[in-house]
Amino acid sequence: MRVLIVGCGRVGSRLAADMSAEGHEVTIVDRNQRQFDLFATRGVLGPAFKGNFVIGDGCDSELLKRAGVEGADAFIAVTEGDNRNIMASEIAHHVFKVPRVVCRLYDPAREDAFKNSGIHFYCPTLVGAAAIHKLVEE
Amino acid sequence: MYLIVIGGGTVGYYLSRDLIERGEEVTLVEKDGARAEWLESQLGSIVMRGDGDELSFLATTGIERADAVLAVTGDDEDNLVALQLAKERFKVPRTIARVNNPANVSIFKMLGVDEAVSATEVLLGALEPKIGGQ
Repeated sequence: MRVLIVGCGRVGSRLAADMSAEGHEVTIVDRNQRQFDLFATRGVLGPAFKGNFVIGDGCDSELLKRAGVEGADAFIAVTEGDNRNIMASEIAHHVFKVPRVVCRLYDPAREDAFKNSGIHFYCPTLVGAAAIHKLVEE
Repeated sequence: MYLIVIGGGTVGYYLSRDLIERGEEVTLVEKDGARAEWLESQLGSIVMRGDGDELSFLATTGIERADAVLAVTGDDEDNLVALQLAKERFKVPRTIARVNNPANVSIFKMLGVDEAVSATEVLLGALEPKIGGQ
């Protein structure tokens, strides 16, 4: 599977490493070269990582084209900004027709507002709160 | 007409000022407190401090009766989300965006925004006849 990930933070870099190790063709995009260096230094995206790095704005359709969005089977938006994730995901889904688009949103209200758009949303706020709640009551 | 302007930067300020001079009813939304105070000192009590991309805040602006919402912040993604919420959630008949990346003019229209204006594109357009004529 060809996978395009926007946002090289803790989640993006981990996901890129795991999917690359499974044999998927991974490209990861971030605005800052520093993020790639950081997770390479930490060993997450070490020498074993076979994927590609692209520096640029994941909300820019031209940049996404250069990163291979047109041939991608899956698109994942995990930057720190909910609006950036929404915009990048909508471009991938509506403009480039990527078959599977997953978007992280911290704000549950945004997830609710955009849920019928054909994009798969993941809200760590709701999932995290529920998991912590469960651990406390165990 | 009742118009909501999201983003109280330079563009949002002059836009709101002109709309008020034309006799329109305007609410100007600005998220930064100090900037909002300055805008209020210039334009009066039409300024609301809040996030134009937050549903709960938008609901307090009288957006259901707005004839148009104009999103003119410097961030394309914030303008897009604000206008999509205005359109989908509050059924605003007309949504207009400022975009910074000229490629987003067509993309915003594909994503449901009624009009998108790029200063970059306008400037390029102003140059073009001369470039073509040389």
